[in-house]
Amino acid sequence: MLEARALCKSFGGKPALDHFSFTVHRGEIYGLLGHNGAGKSTTLGIILGMVMPDGGDVTIDGVSVRAHRSQALRKVGAIFEAPAFYDYLSGWDNLRLLMGYSGGFDPAAARDTIAQVGLTQRIHSKVRTYSHGMRQRLALAQALLPEPAVLLLDEPTDGLDPEGIKWFRDFILQLRRDRGMTVLFNSHLLAEVELMCDRVAILRDGKRVFEGAVGGLHDDALLFDVALDPWDRALGLLHACGGELVAPGRIRLPHGADPAALVESLVRGGIRVSALAPVRRSLEDLYMEIHHGATAPN
Amino acid sequence: MLFVQQLRGELRKLFARPRTWMGYGAFFLMEALILFVYKLEGSQRHMRDLLERNGLEFGTYYSSLTITFTIMLVSMFLLGSIYFALVAGDIVAKENEDGNLRMVFARPVSRLRLLLVKYTAVSLYTFSFVFFVGLSGYLMALLAVGRDGGLFVMEPRMKVFAAYPEWWQGASRLALAAAGIGVSMLTLSSLAFMFSCFKIKPAAATIITLTILFVDMILQGFPFFKPYETCFVTWRMSAWVFLMESHLSWPKLIESYAFLIGLDISLFTVGWAAFQTRDFKT
Repeated sequence: MLEARALCKSFGGKPALDHFSFTVHRGEIYGLLGHNGAGKSTTLGIILGMVMPDGGDVTIDGVSVRAHRSQALRKVGAIFEAPAFYDYLSGWDNLRLLMGYSGGFDPAAARDTIAQVGLTQRIHSKVRTYSHGMRQRLALAQALLPEPAVLLLDEPTDGLDPEGIKWFRDFILQLRRDRGMTVLFNSHLLAEVELMCDRVAILRDGKRVFEGAVGGLHDDALLFDVALDPWDRALGLLHACGGELVAPGRIRLPHGADPAALVESLVRGGIRVSALAPVRRSLEDLYMEIHHGATAPN
Repeated sequence: MLFVQQLRGELRKLFARPRTWMGYGAFFLMEALILFVYKLEGSQRHMRDLLERNGLEFGTYYSSLTITFTIMLVSMFLLGSIYFALVAGDIVAKENEDGNLRMVFARPVSRLRLLLVKYTAVSLYTFSFVFFVGLSGYLMALLAVGRDGGLFVMEPRMKVFAAYPEWWQGASRLALAAAGIGVSMLTLSSLAFMFSCFKIKPAAATIITLTILFVDMILQGFPFFKPYETCFVTWRMSAWVFLMESHLSWPKLIESYAFLIGLDISLFTVGWAAFQTRDFKT
């Protein structure tokens, strides 16, 4: 549905993106992670045609953004962190104005969408009187009005209270369920990305350093927390099986190793095995590993 | 049809901002001030001398039309230019600064179309403002001195002198002049609009525009540049006064307005080229 191929972009000679490629499949929620300046917003800027790439291209449903921007963006909605509306106009007028650039304003459709995002009571108030949460709801309404097939979310939950974050997350997940919407989610909030996304890519200095399914992160089949006694003899047996100690109480087994066989070997060797549990890694663990340790395999 | 809808949105935005109305308020005050001066005895005596020296009757030409002409002559370039530069200098740069452009760029609209909508809105604002000044000036003068009388025109710098004893003759020439002023002021708006398309603060776009115009006007006043005065933008912008001449000199008018319209197109094109190749990133 959304494909970025070898995106390159430099600002003042400093590379912001270096041959970054990814694909978001139809109905998938794809997360973009990275530190400030990693290239996430530049990627979104290129997708929307706001930033001209030095190389590479983005296609949306097969249509090139570089060659046919208007056609490519016809079915795209976008939400930015701190969306900048025209504060001196009402929410309704903002929607009417923005929809003027998306093929026309349909008041009936607008009323439905406004009701969906829960803004009916305040839609005719000036945007300057809106709270941050209400602005994000209005942002959601303007993104949904053109009935997009692809939704681009750039730090959409920043600054929202926990209740607002949960509402937003549930709303997006429901959109995917009901409409099969494709979502590109760019955020610093690792827990949110973990809860929402099917796959993630991690960027560092404009390069992709990881891409994988969020579900697959949780169980690392090779990493275990163990409680063994005595340790010195246990380590000898562990090394004999090809395993290694990676941290106090944490071991890694080689590819293809059977943990049951290791336990059997340890017990036969007179080692007391009081615990052996696979390590459940969070996205945060992975992110920290990548940013403070070695690059994870793609 | 979609263009009209987009233009309506742009105009709604433009006229929803208090800044846009500042100019209207300022002109109301200035018109009241000019009328007050006109009503002073000393001012009337000066006017009487001027008219009678030229063999014209004070009762006929001390009129609402003559006062309206004076208001437009005196105020438009000096005060109007500030508001045109302010509005046109803001229209792109301010939206970029505030982040509104990002919301628009998330829409399937080309940058050229976006600029065309904004430029059309600026043009309409410029013309509507000029006609507002003319009409409000006339209505206030009407209240002050009544409807009767003709139109007396004297502009020594452009060497224009004319007198229209009939009201309808004077009124039609004033309406024509308002259209001419609109085209002249559009050049100023175009200049500010062009700067607004660059990566620049809105205030900078306004200040640079006014600086260029005022420098042009000052240089034009130097005796050394007298033979080249027609090369100055501000001289061409004053060509609307030729529309007040008894016998319209079409070659002179066409030359000046072709110059101004050509300049407007060039300024828009340069602005568009800068806007088209820019990156918009937070």
